Amino acid sequence: MRQLPFVLAINEALREEMQRDDKVFIIGEDVQAGTFRATTGLVQMFGPDRVMDTPLSETAVAGAAIGAAMAGWRPVADFMFADFMWCCADEVFLKAAKWHFIHGGKVNLPVVLFANIGGGARVGPEHSQCPESIVMHTPGLKLVIPSTPYDAKGLMKTAIRDNNPVVYFYHKRLLGLVGDVPEEEYTIPFGVADIKKPGKDVTVVATSYMVQHALKVANELEGKVSIEVVDPRTLEPLDIDTIVASVKKTGRVVLVDEDTKRCSVTAEIGMQIMEKAFDSLDAPIQRVGAANMPIAGGYMEQYVLPQPKDIVTAIETVTGKKLT
Amino acid sequence: MKLDKKELVLLYTNLVRARKGDETVVKGIQEGKVVSFYHSGQGSEAVGVGVCTFLKPDDYLYPHHRGHGLAYVLSKGASLKAFLAEHYGRATGMAGGVAGFHGVDTEHGIFGGGGTIGSQFPVSVGWALAAKKNGRGQVAVCCFGDGSSNRGTMHEAMNMAAVWKLPIVWVCENNLYAQFMPIKDAYPREDIADIAAGYNMPGVVVDGQDVIAVHEAVQAAVERARRGEGPSLIECKTYRYRMHSEGAPDIAHFEPRPQAEIEAWKKRDPIKLFQKKLLDEGILSPADIEQIDRQVQAEVEEAEKFALESPRPDPAILPKLLYAD
Repeated sequence: MRQLPFVLAINEALREEMQRDDKVFIIGEDVQAGTFRATTGLVQMFGPDRVMDTPLSETAVAGAAIGAAMAGWRPVADFMFADFMWCCADEVFLKAAKWHFIHGGKVNLPVVLFANIGGGARVGPEHSQCPESIVMHTPGLKLVIPSTPYDAKGLMKTAIRDNNPVVYFYHKRLLGLVGDVPEEEYTIPFGVADIKKPGKDVTVVATSYMVQHALKVANELEGKVSIEVVDPRTLEPLDIDTIVASVKKTGRVVLVDEDTKRCSVTAEIGMQIMEKAFDSLDAPIQRVGAANMPIAGGYMEQYVLPQPKDIVTAIETVTGKKLT
Repeated sequence: MKLDKKELVLLYTNLVRARKGDETVVKGIQEGKVVSFYHSGQGSEAVGVGVCTFLKPDDYLYPHHRGHGLAYVLSKGASLKAFLAEHYGRATGMAGGVAGFHGVDTEHGIFGGGGTIGSQFPVSVGWALAAKKNGRGQVAVCCFGDGSSNRGTMHEAMNMAAVWKLPIVWVCENNLYAQFMPIKDAYPREDIADIAAGYNMPGVVVDGQDVIAVHEAVQAAVERARRGEGPSLIECKTYRYRMHSEGAPDIAHFEPRPQAEIEAWKKRDPIKLFQKKLLDEGILSPADIEQIDRQVQAEVEEAEKFALESPRPDPAILPKLLYAD
């Protein structure tokens, strides 16, 4: 099958959707050049009215996208770093999230809020967050968080076609990850988790770049313990059924997400497992996440963010075995 | 464009509708019929009426929040019945009774409202961008108060709209107070319209008690926007007669608003001023005035009856409202 890097899979999804629907446009700071190359090359194909470079004004970018969406357009607003979306928190959390509901369903907001997340670049706490827990906590926002090029493309196409605000988070450490992306048209429905690696002893639920960490650990421990890696792919809607089915099979769970561990999405998923599959658990659920502190920059970053060894430790805890 | 008699009467009638509608909600909140809160717009009706009466149905509007937009949305074509029903928490309300005070009427370019002051600027840029992309000569009108002008959102939105020459008219309803904060202690100049120069757009100050002055300034800005020449800012100097919101203290900082100031503004009541002008010019007779009064009174009573007789929303709709299909 054809291989594409993750970021070019997103780029291809954007191009195909812009070709398919004249109402789709991209708006944000330096989207014509494409800071992470997700939007690179599109202005040459679609022109500056559909790939709109904006002043440095996140709030106005978000407002412009959300307003245009209400008036029948399908914008993709690119915020560069997810951290920068806090500048337009009102537009994201009060307008995009609430205006369909609070206005009695009389206005639609088909907008994609697109932003880069995650550490690994050692660029400190305002360029490295994984703020999925706050988005997942907010009713009215869908949340897409792909881990492979295939998922990145298929979920972006679905996000653009959705009639609701969709937050699309892509991790900076995944940009160059190469994987299978068919040349034929496909989309991926929201709320369908993907089992990235089948196993029978431990369920590891991981998101975004942490899926790659989990797969690395699972392969390293192959022969000692059989790990099933489950990627929810979208956190809202969340496919809890696939997660629960895996837990019922393995009886042991490790939840991995790069966001700050306190009140993270793993806390929510863990509690839902407790509610739905408590009797199947053979050990207390273990969670892996960032330490409860700002993400440090430079060489200090690694001491805040979750590392593969933390996943190994958690697996040792739930299995009661020394594995390394 | 000089207004003909029919248009002048429409402006006057809209002023009376806005005033009587507002009085109905104030009375309604005192009687426990209104489910949330109310920020009366009495005293500043000429702004909303002058801005909106002659906009086109498909022009986009973010109304000022005072009176929860009543003078604006009624003049734009929205239904008084649905407006009152929303404030009374009924299923027939402008937002299906789910908002309690926000108005929606997509047929008339009204997409709702928010709770945060200053958040009208960014989404209005989006409507203006849509208007430009639609290519049908629509405009967006974004209304805000003196308090909103203190928000940083205003800068981002006015800057972007000016750079892109979007078809938008920024209308400031300067009533001198942001809740309890006098504008003189929150803004360093006399006129908010001066801000326009920084964005390379016209900035005009008008008497917000004079519905014709408001209308003429807005029409000029709307025509400019429709011609593709970009945004304008119009500042309407006006006042609110009542406290910030019903039940709140009527104060400036922590002391009562000056009674002399309130009385002076009441002498320049927008309805009385326009009524006198129409009588002086022989456009309307005292009998016509009475007739309009009766007609509006009947409309308000019918609307209130409609609202009170409408059912509350079914709570079963709430989960279905979370997402669009």
